[in-house]
Amino acid sequence: MPKHIVRLLLVMVVAAVLAYAAKQFFTPKSFYQFGHYRGDSVAEIASDKPNFGTPKACEKCHAEKYAQWAKGVHNQLDKGKVVKCEVCHGPSSSRDVKGPFDNVATGKEHPQGLKMSIPADSVKLCTLCHEQMPGRPAEQRQVDVAGHAGTQQCTGCHNAHSPRDFGAVTAVSRKGDATKGKALAADCAACHGDTGFGKGLPGPNLAGQKEGYLAAALKGYKKAGGRSNDMMTGMVASMSDTDMENLAAYYASLSCQSARDGDKNAIAAGKALAARCATCHGAAGISSQPAWPNLAGQASDHFQAALKGYRDGSRKNGMMEKVAKELSDKDGANLAAYYADAKCK
Amino acid sequence: MTGSATVPDTDSTSKDSVQELSQEQLSQEQLQRRSVLRFFGAAALGCGAAAAAATAVSSQAATAIDKPEIPGYDWNQHHWGYGIDATRCIGCLRCVEACKIENNVQRDAHHFRTWVERYVYLEGEERPHIDSQADPVNIAASGSEKEYRFANRYKDAKVDKAFFVPKMCNHCTHPACVQVCPVGATYKTEDGVVLIDHKMCIGCQYCVQACPYGARFFDDRLQATNKCTWCYHRITKGLLPACVEVCPVSARVFGDLKDKQSPISKFLRDNRTHVLRPESGNAPNCYYVGIDKEVS
Repeated sequence: MPKHIVRLLLVMVVAAVLAYAAKQFFTPKSFYQFGHYRGDSVAEIASDKPNFGTPKACEKCHAEKYAQWAKGVHNQLDKGKVVKCEVCHGPSSSRDVKGPFDNVATGKEHPQGLKMSIPADSVKLCTLCHEQMPGRPAEQRQVDVAGHAGTQQCTGCHNAHSPRDFGAVTAVSRKGDATKGKALAADCAACHGDTGFGKGLPGPNLAGQKEGYLAAALKGYKKAGGRSNDMMTGMVASMSDTDMENLAAYYASLSCQSARDGDKNAIAAGKALAARCATCHGAAGISSQPAWPNLAGQASDHFQAALKGYRDGSRKNGMMEKVAKELSDKDGANLAAYYADAKCK
Repeated sequence: MTGSATVPDTDSTSKDSVQELSQEQLSQEQLQRRSVLRFFGAAALGCGAAAAAATAVSSQAATAIDKPEIPGYDWNQHHWGYGIDATRCIGCLRCVEACKIENNVQRDAHHFRTWVERYVYLEGEERPHIDSQADPVNIAASGSEKEYRFANRYKDAKVDKAFFVPKMCNHCTHPACVQVCPVGATYKTEDGVVLIDHKMCIGCQYCVQACPYGARFFDDRLQATNKCTWCYHRITKGLLPACVEVCPVSARVFGDLKDKQSPISKFLRDNRTHVLRPESGNAPNCYYVGIDKEVS
């Protein structure tokens, strides 16, 4: 072989060996360990710290809330509908970010150093899933917010942890003392009767009504933007919250009576209409929730006046305003007849 | 190397004086050249030997270990799969927010590892209206680029049909993104996840263009590409990906295809599924239920 070719080959060999050496030097150690990539990067990515936990971790300290949630409709594993704690409260641990993308496993954790968020605006939060919207599957509970509750917060009625539980309102009102309430009730008798049963007097029947509802109603007359009735506003002006709670306890303890003398046709027509009221006020007019009134045994005149009040806006309640607008005067009269006749004991 | 130095005898008719002079220089020059060549030759041999030794050692190590060092996790035991039931999705976007927090994605309207699209077919129109949480109208409804919410923009429209479709990296069996990466910065793991090694990525964005699903984005903080990892740091610890964990209606399903009782195996048994853009040849691993032909 000619000398110059040998030399050229030698140079090429030297260059190749140098290139090979350089490649060995510059290629990361674990490259090609599992394939054409840096093997160590797999473990590096896997070592990142999770932020979201599971509800089990919350149970230890928040047993009461956890129990409410676990029994409620926000935890229906069989239907595949589970709204876990962190969906509303945010993740229970946080990132510690050093540099542009260097997540290190030292972020703060709840309860040490990290506070969970408590959503202030439940309308904003709940409507993320429950606002009526084209595209949502029919089995998803959806509401037209304005028609359902106006501008009220969802948590005003619903227990956020168990939304089909409506104890939210009564939870804030203390249980009253019926004996003390009786002493105060003398002033009320002129309109509501000695036994809380008016028999044609202008006010509603109060006997056997839900205590939570009565207390909230009384307080409503004192509250700005609450209930308005000249007579009642005057009556409660001198009462303390405790007085009102005691009064509510007294009337709730009395036994109620139904009128049982209504027009049979009207009662039958009212019964058919009453199906739509049943969700909240009970199938037989006895409400399932302490915050909502019983309708069974209510005076017919008062019932119709209340519905009219919701229709013209003098009584305020998002849900009831919507319902009342869908009922005619005739419907109201029929419903009133049905509930006045319904057994309330 | 000059011609006169390598072949001094070819020009025999050249002047003697010049020849003598150059002969003396030549011997010195040749000596120098030889020593230099010898030095390089030796150096190359040395380097080559060292490199070969290093390769031998590392290849020995590689054969000894068949899985990455992840505590309590063997990637040979798992093969992950993902299911999306669009008939269940309510478009609440909790998955999108959870993903951003879990994976430290930019909290803005331009970077998403997972996102949700809304398809709305109006009466009398042939093509659907499509928007995602990044649409300006939806950002206006949420009030911030850090929070996401679908605006109720079709409330008063006559809607024939509408549905939501969550999207993300499909962790394809034959990923085009891995194929085009010039530096081995993105790869398919043994347990079926496509990952990005941010340290190796040179930010050329070939993969961003190669992905048929638009699942990758360039992360300007990293100067590297970023995308969904199926929360590899969670699934290797026995947790679910964050989006699956927070989904309130089980529209997102995740599990181990090697486990016949896992949610994803059950999902694939119970449903007739299909994948996005099967014609692209990527063999994606996100299985969809309840999407229309317009979704791709």
